[in-house]
Amino acid sequence: MDGDSIVDSQEELDDEDADEEDEESDFDDLVEDDIDPNFGHNLNEPLAPESDYNPIVREYPEIDPVYDSDSSTEENENTVGNIPMHWYDDYPHIGYDIDGKKIMRPATGDELDKFLSTMDDPDSWLSAHNYKDGQDVKLSAEELEIIRRLEGNRIPDADYNPYEDQVEFFSSKTEIMPLSAAPEPKRRFIPSKHEAKRIMKIVRAIREGRIVPRKSGYVPPKPKYYNLWNDADDKPREEHVMHITAPKMKLPTHDESYNPPAEYLPTEEEIKEWNEMDKEDRPKNYLPQKYNALRNVPGYGQFIQERFERCLDLYLAPRVRKNRLNIDPESLIPKLPSPRDLQPFPTRLAIEFLGHEGRVRSISVDPTGLWMASGSDDKTVRIWEISTGRCMATYHLDELVTSVVWGPNKEVAVLAVACGYKVGLILPEKLFSPELTLHSEEYLKAGFANVATGEPNPKAQWKQPTPAEFEKGIRVWVHLQKPVKQVTWHRKGDYFSTVAPDANNSAVLIHQLTKHQTQQPFKKTKGAVQRVMFHPTKPMFFVATQRYVRQYNLQRQELVKTMQTGVKWISSLDVHPAGDNLIIGSYDKRLCWFDLDLSSKPYKTLRYHQQAIRSVAYHKRYPLFASCADDGNVQIFHGMVYNDLLQNPLIVPVKILKNVHQRVDALGALCVEWHPTQPWLISSGADHTIKLFS
Amino acid sequence: MGKLHKKGKAGAAINYITRNQALKKLQVTLADFRRLCILKGIYPREPKNKKKANKGSTAPSTFYYAKDIQYLMHEPILGKFREYKTFAKKMAKVMSKGQYSTAKTLAENKPIYTLDHIIKERYPTFTDALRDLDDALCMIFLFATMPKTEKIKSETIENCQRLAAEFQHYILHTRSLRKTFLSIKGIYYQAEIKGQTVTWLVPYQFSQDVPTDVDFRVMLTFLEFHQTLCGFVNYRLYSDVNLVYPPTLDLKLDEGGAGMNALIIESTQSSANIAKTVNQPITSTVAASLSKEEKQRLQESEKRLKALSSKIAHIQETEDNSTTAEVDQDADSAMDEFPAPLPNLDGTAAGTVTFTDIQKASQHLTHFQSLFSNCVIFLSREVPRYSLEFVLRALGAQVGWDAVLGEGSPFDENDDRITHQISDRPTQGHRFLSRQYVQPQWAYDCINAGKILVGDTYFVGKTLPPHLSPFVEAKEGDYVPDVNQFEGQTEDLAIESGDEDEEDEDEEDEDEDEEDADEDEDEDTEHKDLHQIELEAEAKGVAFTEFEAKENKKKTKATKAAKAAEPATSAPATRSAGKKRTAAEAEAEEAKELAKIMMTNKQQKLYTKIQYGKDKKAAEVEKLTKKKEQLAKSAKASANKKAKK
Repeated sequence: MDGDSIVDSQEELDDEDADEEDEESDFDDLVEDDIDPNFGHNLNEPLAPESDYNPIVREYPEIDPVYDSDSSTEENENTVGNIPMHWYDDYPHIGYDIDGKKIMRPATGDELDKFLSTMDDPDSWLSAHNYKDGQDVKLSAEELEIIRRLEGNRIPDADYNPYEDQVEFFSSKTEIMPLSAAPEPKRRFIPSKHEAKRIMKIVRAIREGRIVPRKSGYVPPKPKYYNLWNDADDKPREEHVMHITAPKMKLPTHDESYNPPAEYLPTEEEIKEWNEMDKEDRPKNYLPQKYNALRNVPGYGQFIQERFERCLDLYLAPRVRKNRLNIDPESLIPKLPSPRDLQPFPTRLAIEFLGHEGRVRSISVDPTGLWMASGSDDKTVRIWEISTGRCMATYHLDELVTSVVWGPNKEVAVLAVACGYKVGLILPEKLFSPELTLHSEEYLKAGFANVATGEPNPKAQWKQPTPAEFEKGIRVWVHLQKPVKQVTWHRKGDYFSTVAPDANNSAVLIHQLTKHQTQQPFKKTKGAVQRVMFHPTKPMFFVATQRYVRQYNLQRQELVKTMQTGVKWISSLDVHPAGDNLIIGSYDKRLCWFDLDLSSKPYKTLRYHQQAIRSVAYHKRYPLFASCADDGNVQIFHGMVYNDLLQNPLIVPVKILKNVHQRVDALGALCVEWHPTQPWLISSGADHTIKLFS
Repeated sequence: MGKLHKKGKAGAAINYITRNQALKKLQVTLADFRRLCILKGIYPREPKNKKKANKGSTAPSTFYYAKDIQYLMHEPILGKFREYKTFAKKMAKVMSKGQYSTAKTLAENKPIYTLDHIIKERYPTFTDALRDLDDALCMIFLFATMPKTEKIKSETIENCQRLAAEFQHYILHTRSLRKTFLSIKGIYYQAEIKGQTVTWLVPYQFSQDVPTDVDFRVMLTFLEFHQTLCGFVNYRLYSDVNLVYPPTLDLKLDEGGAGMNALIIESTQSSANIAKTVNQPITSTVAASLSKEEKQRLQESEKRLKALSSKIAHIQETEDNSTTAEVDQDADSAMDEFPAPLPNLDGTAAGTVTFTDIQKASQHLTHFQSLFSNCVIFLSREVPRYSLEFVLRALGAQVGWDAVLGEGSPFDENDDRITHQISDRPTQGHRFLSRQYVQPQWAYDCINAGKILVGDTYFVGKTLPPHLSPFVEAKEGDYVPDVNQFEGQTEDLAIESGDEDEEDEDEEDEDEDEEDADEDEDEDTEHKDLHQIELEAEAKGVAFTEFEAKENKKKTKATKAAKAAEPATSAPATRSAGKKRTAAEAEAEEAKELAKIMMTNKQQKLYTKIQYGKDKKAAEVEKLTKKKEQLAKSAKASANKKAKK
């Protein structure tokens, strides 16, 4: 193999075989040092011109081959070698000559001599001390030159050229003489396994298609666009709940125009407000502007941003399917029969009863419908003539009057009054006919004869009034342990019940007037009792605690039903005259209608008062009921109950009497009561008035 | 007892997947995921119950529909993304070693992905694609005006320009432009293509300053998709109207002189028009796209282009009449296919569509499509030609322009045929008496009004009437600014328009006749015995009050009619009535209030919600009306002052 091929292979493999390269460099040095640069050239060929190839010829000092020229023969040389000379400091000799004899330390003068000699000898600074010989040696000019060059950080040898031109031994030219005499190795004659491996790798890659051969020439590109859709085969996307198409951009409105109507332009305040608003809060992302000509319209600065935001919306905004109700709000309002068709009901104020000087807590109309009694916080009970509004009688008591109720029996004229810890039974004289008065007197007295036999009941003591009180008209006192909140009569007028919420298990007591007896129907309390009521026809008894209304059978002495009202605090209760329906009012503004046959849950819960409901009442004859609340309003409903069990009661609001009573200390209308025969409504309030609507 | 259900095995818990979970599942970076989502149109969802969807955690997170992610796993593009990643790595390695030949081979086998299958998948039918074209067009028209930056390559911009021009040309060809609107943001166009309304926004042609707070990676990914979509849609649109796509300058036809053949005229026209419509930029883009393929041919073609422009002008002149007629025919055939009534043109919104209705609508459409067909319009040098030429030619006008606006104008300013000149300058110096000088808004208002408006109100230098959005459909209770703005201003320019008006009048007459008939009936009923009617009503089960109300209504109607007869006397009466609430109204209001009591809680809430929205809208309307009144007052005051002076 000639030099040419060697060079090629070397170039190919130079990164792989670093060792080879090292060898090569050694070889280079060798060549440079020992071989004539013209070595190997064909002698017949002319040499390359000087300018091309100019090896430096070193000139060494000529050695004169005389006898004495060998310095080794000159003197007896110290043979100790290169050792620290201070080892010999303590000896008289400084080493040994070639024959093994001691070389004695040459005599040296003292410091003064040394000084004198340096002073005498002008070349003393050119001499160096040779420790081996123990003598000063004068430096030659060449040696001084070397020192100077070393000091200058130069190559000591002035003749040495470190940048000599390289001699190209391995060139493209085929030399006649081989560079090495070594025989060609075997590996040069057999195919390389390594190369075969590498080639196979590529072949395999091509076969497997991992390497695609280079395209030759121009390849026309495939058509970029073609008919992607084929109407015949295309199936429209099936509707799927989870597929939500992106909403389209909102179309521009008038105010986005470059020349909008003047009323769309924002005022200065609006501009200021818009500027101060956060970018996210702005209802629109632009301010309407007006340009008087198209040429004045500038470019829109936010265009790219807005498009970017749209892009973000498209891929970042969570999409959710929202069903927009496209209904007329009026269709939500239920269709009710016109109130006009449901007449009669009270619509306007007829009579105002003035005279009380405190809140009128309770009112009651007597069964004949002629008289009305009212109890007030001014510690009086007044009796009024309904038709004229005249105050017929006033009873001054010593406590606040919380409840007044006329006895339901038309044969007996008696008014029950709850006043502090006691309940009084009043027989209003002069209002009724003498026969009725006499009968009532006897009816009220009868009990005193009876009670003498038994032991006095500590929970309720029946007492005679003082003569002064008797004079006023009070016939009986029933003293209780706790303040009485409510009195209610049984339909026959013999029994009446009282509610004293603080009195634990004796909160509810049932009193019999004719026998002056008191019963305690419940052993245990089930919550604070708010109201009680006798059933209008059956021997049933309703007790309303804070949240529940319980119906008891008095004959069987058992709980019939518990009604879950769903309200927080019941304030009032009334039973429909037919006995199958019930309404309650609550302090949390709700009115619930219960159908006793239907369910223990309210048939209807209505919330229309702005404040706590204080009182609810059914009319005895007409299908009407009313409620009053602390907002001072009285609301009248048509509440028709059908005999047909399958038909639900019809409830229609027919009239709102607004601001009937003024609000005083957060209290408005306190009590409503219907006239027993006429469609008249009487209400009393915290503003000391009583009003009758007809 | 039923089967016990384990928590988190059904429903929202498996239907939704958070973003991080999705990333882990797909084993992609967030950037790749974003690109995938954009290209595939995958969007986050809002589960009804986030806690259930997030396995009990209430931490805020983005949810995706699990099946979307499942499908993504098999997306070929995902594989391509990975291939590209390895390619990039290999390339970097090779380049760092300086193995350039290997790099070259690698670069030749660079993985390329196409979006064809995604387009087909996202838009299974062509209608779907059209429905979603709005965003794509907005994007393409925006990028057509963008400057070249580091991120936005010039090829992208050129492609966008080309796609935009192609689309515009289709609109011109089919005359499907319906509405335009000059807003402060740009110019909105709305076209109706195959029954789908497509709206797009084109920015005013100013150099866009590229904002720094916009992530162009997102924008460009979208653009990539939108370009592909637009290309396919354009192809389909062109092939549907028998045009060649892509519309290049066809040299064979040109050399053969086949301009006489009708079909070839269409195709050649299209290519020539493109060269004309978007003059320099488009020819350059065409050149750019071609230059890669056939440089030699291009040089020839450019030479010919100049020759061609004159040729086209000649052809157009000679064949103006014939071509317009053809286009009309096209429009006719198109109309038969898509007889949807124009929303802005007709007020005949009827519940039942009769054949006459359809016919009427189609007549409207043809009339609208050739709105400017009798106009020869010249554009002065200060008006935006890019928009006006498109808008005017889309409705059949012949448009010429000043040489400053570009070459290729079919006629110059001195042409006698010019009927309108659009200019936008404070005063017009030299005037031709034969033509009307109008401001650019005239063209847009004409299109929105569907008729040619009198140019006097738009005369150069005059204060323009307000430009209203044609996209607003006034509903009940909305504020309507100046409804009668355009009434009685129609120009008797075209014979067809005259016919149109007559038709309208006829319609009105018919309506009146019908009304008369109704009234007659009413009167007849009044003559009947009232008692008899009452009895009938009772039999029907109508409550007496309702019946009464009906009767009252009838009476009021009668009185109203009477009042209408004497408007002078009735005006003050109605005013006083408006101020005072009548007893009947008060009663009705009270009845409503009472009825509200009986609403259920749910209904009540819904009602208040709806009412809140209504009130808000009403407040807005009131604000506008008040402002208008105030403006009118101040204008009057200032006018008076001037008069006094």
